[in-house]
Amino acid sequence: MIEVSNISKQVTTTEGTLSILQQINLSLAAGESLAIVGPSGSGKSTLLGILAGLDLPSSGSVSLNGQDITAMDEEGRAAVRAETVGFVFQSFHLLPGLTALENVALPLELQGDKDALQTAAYYLGRVGLEQRTSHYPRQLSGGEQQRVAVARAFACRPTILFADEPTGNLDTGTGEKINDLLFDLNKEEGTTLVLVTHEHNLAARCGQRMVLAAGQQVTEGSAA
Amino acid sequence: MQALKMLLRTWRGGQLSLIIWSLVLAVAVVTSVSILAERIERALTAESSSFLAADLVVRSSRTIDPQWVQEAQQKQVQTARVLTFASMVYYEANMHLASIKAVETGYPLRGLLRRTTTPFTSDTSLIQEIDFGPAAGEAWVDARLLPLLDIELGDRIELGEISLKVTQTVVEEPDSGGTYGAIGARVLMNYSDLDSAGVIVPGSRVTYRFLMAQGASGADGFADYSAWIESELEVHDRLITPDEAQASVADAMDEGRRFLLLAGSVGVVLAGIALALASHHFAAGQTQQVALLKSWGISASRVRSLYMQQSLWLGIGGSLLGLLVGFGFSEILIYVVREWLPISLPMAGLRPWITGMATGLLCLGGFTLPALWHLPTQSPLAVLRQDVQVKPVSSVVRGLFGVAAVASLLLWYSNNLYLSLAILAGFAITALATIVIGLALLRAGKNYGQKMGSIWRLAASNLWRRKSQSIIQMVGFSGAIALLMIMAVVRTSLIDEWRWQLADDAPNHFLINVAPYELDGVRNMVSEQNLQTAGWYGMVRGRMTQINGQEISEDQRDRHESFRRELNLSWATDLPEGNELTAGDWWDKLDLSGDIAPVSLEDELAGELGLAIGDQITFSVGGLIFEARVTSTRSLNWDNMTPNFYFLFPEGLLENYPRTNMTSLYIPPQQKLLVNDLLRKYPTVQVIELDKIIERIRTIVSQVTSGLEVMTLLILSCGVLVMFAAVSLSMSERLQESAILRTLGSSRRLILGIQLVEFTVLGVMAGLLAAIGAEAAVAMIQRFMFDLPFAMHPWIWLAGPLAGGLLVGALGVGYSRKVVVQPPLEVLKNI
Repeated sequence: MIEVSNISKQVTTTEGTLSILQQINLSLAAGESLAIVGPSGSGKSTLLGILAGLDLPSSGSVSLNGQDITAMDEEGRAAVRAETVGFVFQSFHLLPGLTALENVALPLELQGDKDALQTAAYYLGRVGLEQRTSHYPRQLSGGEQQRVAVARAFACRPTILFADEPTGNLDTGTGEKINDLLFDLNKEEGTTLVLVTHEHNLAARCGQRMVLAAGQQVTEGSAA
Repeated sequence: MQALKMLLRTWRGGQLSLIIWSLVLAVAVVTSVSILAERIERALTAESSSFLAADLVVRSSRTIDPQWVQEAQQKQVQTARVLTFASMVYYEANMHLASIKAVETGYPLRGLLRRTTTPFTSDTSLIQEIDFGPAAGEAWVDARLLPLLDIELGDRIELGEISLKVTQTVVEEPDSGGTYGAIGARVLMNYSDLDSAGVIVPGSRVTYRFLMAQGASGADGFADYSAWIESELEVHDRLITPDEAQASVADAMDEGRRFLLLAGSVGVVLAGIALALASHHFAAGQTQQVALLKSWGISASRVRSLYMQQSLWLGIGGSLLGLLVGFGFSEILIYVVREWLPISLPMAGLRPWITGMATGLLCLGGFTLPALWHLPTQSPLAVLRQDVQVKPVSSVVRGLFGVAAVASLLLWYSNNLYLSLAILAGFAITALATIVIGLALLRAGKNYGQKMGSIWRLAASNLWRRKSQSIIQMVGFSGAIALLMIMAVVRTSLIDEWRWQLADDAPNHFLINVAPYELDGVRNMVSEQNLQTAGWYGMVRGRMTQINGQEISEDQRDRHESFRRELNLSWATDLPEGNELTAGDWWDKLDLSGDIAPVSLEDELAGELGLAIGDQITFSVGGLIFEARVTSTRSLNWDNMTPNFYFLFPEGLLENYPRTNMTSLYIPPQQKLLVNDLLRKYPTVQVIELDKIIERIRTIVSQVTSGLEVMTLLILSCGVLVMFAAVSLSMSERLQESAILRTLGSSRRLILGIQLVEFTVLGVMAGLLAAIGAEAAVAMIQRFMFDLPFAMHPWIWLAGPLAGGLLVGALGVGYSRKVVVQPPLEVLKNI
């Protein structure tokens, strides 16, 4: 499902070349889950961005569903993302002018789904927000906003879900609930899950863990 | 449809309000001004025709050729003949040298006559408006003829061989408003009574008028006929078009129209700036959304197409709404100026609507699209990393697009290169000055602020830190203030120029032919009524007999009446007020000791007579001959209603010839009978009455002025919109900073104080810079558009910074109230 071979990422700054990621390798089968952990600045989010096709590595290759996305142009990667990828972000990224229902429906509408609103309502029900469909993000709590974001991610039926610190902005209790939701849905929908987190509890629930330190892969393997 | 759905949702979310209102206002301003200009144009033509009582007139010193009338009947053109002359009218032992006007049935062809059977009334309910003249055997007279002859309505007055029954008094004739009023009280009679009266004999001084108006044959038939008439004219005939009919009203109207144009252009530029700022603000808020869309796999081309479609919907919707609002505004404006517009005002054609729609789409293309252009290239990685932000199209490129849009709009819309250039130059100078001087001011503020209290220090360093935003805001503020000041200055100078027409005591009567021995008596009569004259001027009647030693030819006599009759010659030591030399030198630069007298001529007359500097004229004054040489020509200001002279000599040359005196003065309606008393006591004195025409001009001008006030209000709202747009630019950043400051324990007072100082300082700086731009633009506009002399406007330099500080300060604090009202946690949660 996800095949990563020898990817590195360097950026040029005024003070010279900075190496953000070095020689990362990874293989993740369909339906599996991976936690990328490490301290701040270790390159977790950069790696997530590259895996999801949002960014390109300086060298190495990434394949999603057997397609080498590092050999594609932005339009090609966009097509792959549209087909296979879903996201959950730390800061939710809900559009403030849209209701919960419209936020979930928007990506479906953009894909031309005629039943976008029904599908969105169904997934809002799945995350327990059937009573809040017409609320705007500002009328929802942080936990509720993230639940809308989770519903939006699953509503597009992605085969791979990328989550960037999905509970980083939430208190522990709320975070736990979101995690449960994420894993439950992941299991039910058969999605492959890649998440970046600081939290050991969350990392422990994933099938695989990758620890990064200063851009290097420290450990890789199945959860204990 | 997806784009439309997204647009409607964004609108509902409140992010589009500023863009939409800017667009609506731009379109509304242009549409209302265009509609108004076009309708006024049509009204003006109708009004000018009513000043002529026709669409076209031939004035002649000879009888009208009967063939003209026959041809008109064949070509189905309406005509009416009108004769004016002075003649004695009698009632028993009383007599008066009246100004007789004989009109053919059909007169007036355009406009209306106003008559009443209640002499001297001003009650409009007693005054009838009609489109026909007196029947045969009847006379309608000026009210003051009744006491002059001691008659009442129904009495019969004698004119030559016949008697006419006086049945009505005339209040106003549509065509009474030539440059000169009537001498003697008016007697209006039917043309068919002329022959039997036998008052017109060969050699009588009669002015013949041939009135023509479009008839059943329509505009084409009339154009054919007028072309034919033009080919028939001889040297003693003169064609008068509606434009020439009433120069002073036409001037006021024309200036009013140009002001509307200026106001409209200023409105477009202001709304354009608001739109640019609003679009910039909107685009900044969209980058995250675009990153999100792209992370979902929406391609850059799809994103571009989505935003282009949204812009198009926005343009169409905003423009349609703008057209509607513009139509509403024009209706309000027309309501304000309704008095002088004909009742059946024709609707405007398609052009204003097209202009409005084009404005909307062009504004969008020039201001909104460049601001949104970079959005599709936003990297989807921005959803993960805040530091990955796409750079907008450079502000220089966006500026060029904006300028191109505004320039093409201004040019198309005003069709006036000078106006467009002046406005663009004014704005460019303001913007450039803002960037250069503004940065220096901000830096100085930062350095100086360090030494001051915490509010000032924080405010000054905030302004410096956000310097690019501060500069953009300053350009917006100073542009708006400059354009508003341009409007104010031009409006004020126009109204100043019209002041004499608006002044209640502008002279409305001329007294001429006052003999030296009558002068004291007349002066006393005037001062007993507590009336003021514009000063007394001496005058000698003389005739030109030779030009450059050649007798005046028959041809010359036919060509211009000044060769046929006695002229008023006067004298002055200094160049009179309102006169300007157009060629040659005034007396002080001439040697006055020679035998040939120097003479200064009015320049238009000199042109008509074919006279130039150096030409020698022989004058005959009461049989005494003297020579004069043209040494200068002058332009005159006819608007000030003080005596003006075509021929001026130095003092000391004419005083020994038989002289008379003249003056002008204001006689209020209730003291109008003074004219009768004067004429009874001094029958040889002539009174030229201009009160009716002045009253009419005054009404028109005051209506035009009210129209300008309404327009100024509309433009002011554009200015406020720009300010709102500029203030909202930095609001989200301010909100976050204040939330952090409040979390750290700063008081509301400190935070509001910082906002107040920041905005006030920005406003004062912008006001100062606006003064520079406004002064530059006004100089150009006055010079090239309104033909006014250059003058500095010291008040601008005070009003700019003051108004800027107050307005921007108040607006900024008012707008940023939510900075302290919204709980800090809520703000921080959204960061």
